[in-house]
Amino acid sequence: MPLWTLRGLRRGVVTTRYPARPDPSAVLLPTPPVFRPDALTSDLADRLVAVCPSRALGRDGDVLVFDVGACTACGRCRAEAPQAAEDSGEFELAATAREHLIKRIALDGSPR
Amino acid sequence: MTALQPGLAGESGLRDLLTGFGRDGHGGGPVTTLSVPVADLQAAVRRIAAHPGARLADVFASLENPDTDGSPVTLRLVWGLDADRRYLITESLVEGDSYPSLSDIVPGAFTEECEIYEQFGIRAAGGKPLNRVALPPWAGPDWPRLGRAPAEQPKDVHAPHHVGGHAFEFPFGPVRQVAVESLYYGLVTSGEELVDLYLFTWHKHRGVEWRLRGMTPGEALFYVERTEGLGAVGNSWAFAAAVEASLGLEPPPQAMAARAIALELERLYNHAAATAALCQSTGLVIGQAAAEIALERLLRVNAAVFGHRYLFGVVDIGGARADLDAAALRSDLPGAYGELQRAAAALLSTNSFLDRLEATGVLTEEAARRLGLVGPVARAAGLAIDARADHPARPYDQFRPEVAAQDAGDVLARFRVMLAEAAESVRLIGEIGRTAAGPGLALPPGAGPGQPAQPANSGLGWAESSRGESLAWVALDDGGRITRARLRPASVRNWRGFDDACRSQNVFTDIPIIEASFWLTVAGTAR
Repeated sequence: MPLWTLRGLRRGVVTTRYPARPDPSAVLLPTPPVFRPDALTSDLADRLVAVCPSRALGRDGDVLVFDVGACTACGRCRAEAPQAAEDSGEFELAATAREHLIKRIALDGSPR
Repeated sequence: MTALQPGLAGESGLRDLLTGFGRDGHGGGPVTTLSVPVADLQAAVRRIAAHPGARLADVFASLENPDTDGSPVTLRLVWGLDADRRYLITESLVEGDSYPSLSDIVPGAFTEECEIYEQFGIRAAGGKPLNRVALPPWAGPDWPRLGRAPAEQPKDVHAPHHVGGHAFEFPFGPVRQVAVESLYYGLVTSGEELVDLYLFTWHKHRGVEWRLRGMTPGEALFYVERTEGLGAVGNSWAFAAAVEASLGLEPPPQAMAARAIALELERLYNHAAATAALCQSTGLVIGQAAAEIALERLLRVNAAVFGHRYLFGVVDIGGARADLDAAALRSDLPGAYGELQRAAAALLSTNSFLDRLEATGVLTEEAARRLGLVGPVARAAGLAIDARADHPARPYDQFRPEVAAQDAGDVLARFRVMLAEAAESVRLIGEIGRTAAGPGLALPPGAGPGQPAQPANSGLGWAESSRGESLAWVALDDGGRITRARLRPASVRNWRGFDDACRSQNVFTDIPIIEASFWLTVAGTAR
């Protein structure tokens, strides 16, 4: 058993300093999309809503409603419309209220 | 599909068919479907079960006419004829509420008889008490089922126990310790020694098979991957292969190579996680930390190579979706695997650790065979079956794995099998990785020159996941939507061996060790 103690001490501390310092491995994580309003037509928005398997996307008139809390970062919307949906790179998604996770994106330059 | 003539189940018809498999090799494809009149089913089961290398891999049911009230039920038995490198599916139409008992001949079929009763309301003849295995006790007549509700609810049956002195049932779960799945053990004990153990696995029932009905295969794949998160690649490969068999799709070679690399990476991280769990269960915290460092590094390899720590999004219908970072694989995998190797070497030289594993949780080869167990659990008991070797799909037909096996059937044997498989996975990744591997999807039937379209409306798929053989079967309607999807992760087979392993002269504190060595999931069975 002392050998195990020595092994442990020799290996050292591998825990990262996150959140005090950014974790370099975070760049490997899939992240929810960010949508480009100028590329979002109504038809494209409907296709994105249809392709989302976790119902994170919906329509409210001329607005694409995106529930980040329901998003699993599966990438299907980005594959369907790479011109309109990009990787956000954002994984720090904690919010203090549920409604803060709901994003509304106006379609195609139309007013919100 | 071949139809077995009435009365020929035990006669020359079936016998000749089975003998012909050995002679013909791969003639006619790796899956044969046989229609068996239900009156001949028991005779057919006896004949097939006696065939060398035959293993009952799954039993499931589906409604013949889902839109019709009172529709008859089709009972399907999937047999692994491992020595003949073939799967045999028998289909029998059941009209009425009962069918001939399968578990009287193949005891391992009892769990499925219970599940079919809960989901379809049809019962194996003989009146044997049935356990609750799939649906929770509050699943009333309106509960979403694949068929119709049973006339009577199954009871939570406890077999009578006769022990010298006093015995009581110690309830453990379903809420267990942190981050561990919901599972109930009833531990029957006289104080310390375990006399018997009951498992109730229905707490995590999510109705996945029910939910997949009406979906396209692409929509369904999202749910199949997440049915058992630790088996995303194995289970999604089996499901995709079933759909591809139905549609006559043949994925391109580079996509199959990508799938195989992902499958071996999945095996690696699962075996590292099992190593950590073994250390945790024996109280060796530094060993646990060492194995968890290996696990974390392997998960980061997955993310660097395929874009997801748990390898979601790799398999697609018709091929592979994710691009593969081969440079990251070459640079990152050796260091990550080295962590596991060093931890394992230290563990195998720690006598106090090995003492807890040796002769603990013994599962005999006879029990493994009788229950139809798969994967490292079976191989550690001397049953050297492996779908990569016995039913090789590309690229395993070209890159053949060395099947690791032991004889002792105890926790130490299972640990040794996992370590040997991890080494073999690294070797396979190296070899397969030298070929072209990457995304690619098959053309639909008839889309390419000289490509005959041979779609059927159903198909069987399989893959050797880290826990063992994962099976899937799908039936599609004319519009390509799912009418029935059967998912059979390896955990479904192997939980039925857990109580046997726990009963073999073990004490309470051995149970977490045995559970770690099985490394199953409740999610994989409660689907």
